[in-house]
Amino acid sequence: MTGLLPGLVYVFLFPGFIFLVMYALFFESLDRKITARMQNRVGPPIVQPFADFIKMLGKEVIDVDGVDRKIFDAAPVVALAAVMTAFLYVPVLGVSPFGFQGDLVLVLYLLTIPTVVLFIMGWLSRNIFSSIGGVRVITQMFIYEVPFFLALLTPALMAGTWSISEIMLWQQQNMWFMILQPIGFIVALIGLQAKLERPPFDIPEAETEIVAGPWTELTGRRLALMHLVKDVSLVTGCALITALFLGGPVLPWAVTPAWLGIIAGFCIFVVKTLALLLVLSSIKVATGRIRIDQLNTIGWKYIASASLLQVAIVLIINYRWVST
Amino acid sequence: MTALLTLDYVAEKMKEYGTAEQVRSNRIRIRTTPERVSNAIQKALESLGCDRLITISTADNGTTFELFYHLIGPHRTVVSIAIEIPRDQPEVISMSGILSPAGIYERQIHDLFGIMFRGHPGLKKIILNEDWPADEFPLRKDWKKNPDTYYGGIKVERT
Amino acid sequence: MPEVIVPIGPHHPALKEPVNFRVIADGEKIVRLELDLSYNHRGIEKAAEQRDFIRVLPLLERVCGICSHSHSSAFAKGIEEIMQIEIPPRAQYIRTIIAELERMHSHLLWLGVAAHEIGFNTLFMWTWRDRELVQDTLEEMSGNRVHYGMNEVGGVRCDLTPHQVSTALERLPFLEERIYQYVDMVNDQQTLLLRFKGVGKLTREEVLKYGAVGPTARASGVDYDARRDDPYFVYTEVPWNVVTDTNGDVYGRTCVRIGELRESANIVRYCLENLPKGPVRVNAPKIAPEGEIFSRYEAPRGELAHFIRTNGTNKVERVDIRTPTLANWTSVAMCLVDQNLADIPVIVAAIDPCLSCTSRITLINTPGGKPGIVTFDELRKRGQTYCQEQGPP
Repeated sequence: MTGLLPGLVYVFLFPGFIFLVMYALFFESLDRKITARMQNRVGPPIVQPFADFIKMLGKEVIDVDGVDRKIFDAAPVVALAAVMTAFLYVPVLGVSPFGFQGDLVLVLYLLTIPTVVLFIMGWLSRNIFSSIGGVRVITQMFIYEVPFFLALLTPALMAGTWSISEIMLWQQQNMWFMILQPIGFIVALIGLQAKLERPPFDIPEAETEIVAGPWTELTGRRLALMHLVKDVSLVTGCALITALFLGGPVLPWAVTPAWLGIIAGFCIFVVKTLALLLVLSSIKVATGRIRIDQLNTIGWKYIASASLLQVAIVLIINYRWVST
Repeated sequence: MTALLTLDYVAEKMKEYGTAEQVRSNRIRIRTTPERVSNAIQKALESLGCDRLITISTADNGTTFELFYHLIGPHRTVVSIAIEIPRDQPEVISMSGILSPAGIYERQIHDLFGIMFRGHPGLKKIILNEDWPADEFPLRKDWKKNPDTYYGGIKVERT
Repeated sequence: MPEVIVPIGPHHPALKEPVNFRVIADGEKIVRLELDLSYNHRGIEKAAEQRDFIRVLPLLERVCGICSHSHSSAFAKGIEEIMQIEIPPRAQYIRTIIAELERMHSHLLWLGVAAHEIGFNTLFMWTWRDRELVQDTLEEMSGNRVHYGMNEVGGVRCDLTPHQVSTALERLPFLEERIYQYVDMVNDQQTLLLRFKGVGKLTREEVLKYGAVGPTARASGVDYDARRDDPYFVYTEVPWNVVTDTNGDVYGRTCVRIGELRESANIVRYCLENLPKGPVRVNAPKIAPEGEIFSRYEAPRGELAHFIRTNGTNKVERVDIRTPTLANWTSVAMCLVDQNLADIPVIVAAIDPCLSCTSRITLINTPGGKPGIVTFDELRKRGQTYCQEQGPP
């Protein structure tokens, strides 16, 4: 980053705050549209999430008796700030200008904050459905978090760096990690689906069992912001997997004018994240919701062992070919 | 599915409890008394091969309440055990101990006819709303809606 | 977590109608539950005692929105037996067609609801889309999608035209193809199997003990089916089988319902192809002799029993309706104990609960939007003016 102004533009305008919100809402509408078409429905118009967001911001906020208002007001903002910060470290237009050695770990932890916030809100809601939902959120987090982290750290192991941008550049020179580490890629997709609480992992907000889980007592702008958090998490998650496994928003060869490289990078970013969204939506459409105890079994038995297997494979490859 | 029960067979088995009559090709009615109904149902389950209760039907014939316990078994013959209980003391022993589905039907009858079932584990309201007046039973023939009584729900302001 | 009371209902996304379960849960395990059905009582049994036979039928049809034909058929066939009138074969066939189409639309609806309860919305959308075909057929035949109003004491209200028969026959192959696809889906879909297999298990002995009926009972190998045990309409002439299963869990109930979908499609085809000629109703007397009848009918949800007593006038002395859902509640309450909290919706849905059947409510609504009661005369006048405007059909 050369100066203060470009940095501010990057954070607030593009591809930071404003663009991110727009892109996240667009992502949601596209997700809903894809789901609807696969289910033989018409689906909502593309502007629906934007309209919902603006309308919900203006709706009355209902406070539950005996609930700490300040925490309830602050929690969605904290979650939103966390995921938006995480997005800044993910490459969008080529290499991220804020990237540093170890930003991968930071991004992973920032992405965990919305889940914890959701648990806290569910637990504080003084509502039986929210409490059960909150407990389910945290239980589910303990199940998917380990394989998800392991799967996302394996590219770092192979590339020998903890910076997302450098992992991306490593792929530019060698090969995509999706091909090198297919197991890790699949585990990462499953983990992302679980993190975003989309079917088959929508256990914490299982509508027919516990109404809306931790979301039950959320109203007005709190609900709007939490929905936005979810959408932004979806974009950030897709962008992260794009950078780590799909080669990120760069062309495999160097482009001479820098601005052309940035435009090409952005186009690649859009195409790759949309492709990931299509995969995630297909999973959503093709499955029902599993139970928390079944997730526990599946998560620890198969998904965790698969990610461990991937780590082991990477370590062996590193020992034999890379480190020498 | 086995062959239908014949009237003679049923009458022979149930003769200590009352008279049997064939009301339809596949239905046999046995009239008995409230005191013996428990034993009669037990006997029907044991020796007539009945294995389940279809329903308990109730009717108010003006002078007494009639209860019909409709039993059925693999022979596909409906064995209806009928009793009459007096209106001034509507009370009969509960069958929920012998036949578990009877419990829910008895709660329903208790709501609508005000018949007491002795020994029922939880004779609470199930069909009528909880703020329905306790001493009114809508399916009795002499029940009339009382304009001054509050029957529960949201009060309607009449202009 | 200590024991908590989870109130399910009267308003809850899993419930399509008001009912209240107070589920006492220990963490995610259910300890016991209490049941309250009282949100829906409409007093239909009392109202039926004050109407003549012509007016009782539409009233009974409104006991339930899904099995509307079942209630009116059970009553009509009972009262016809008391009057000792024989209805013409064509009317019997038409009643059977409507009954089986109703079973198909009810089972398709159930399949969708069950899928929705486990969060599998795709199957929900697909089955409900296909259900529209059945509803279209019903609408063409009777003029209505929900309350067909086909039954009359002494026959059916309107005849089927050759065109209606041929359109209905044209739709059947597509429906059957879809049904086969659902069979595949239920057997292959992993999340569906995870949620359906071994959930809400009832053994054969338990089913008999708790008096469960319909697909719930047949899924445990108890082959009670009033269509075969107490034949009515034309079920003795039509080739069909009682569908049973031995799993006894939600998966078994799904298999039974899908099997019945197939059987129903075959029955409908047979009846449409072999529709006899002749009148569709006979003149029924206005007054029924004194008598009592216990009329059993296999509704989509299970055995429906009407206990009808007449007293020699044009009104019934007593109609006692025992709906299948009421019979199934005991078994549900028993098999929910020790199950997972997440499985409540699907176990409850597995009996296909119909609460408006069970507690019999009504809503009164005039077309003007103001609540009020439409008197019989008003309705008649409206019908007459409508017919005059429309001209002869």
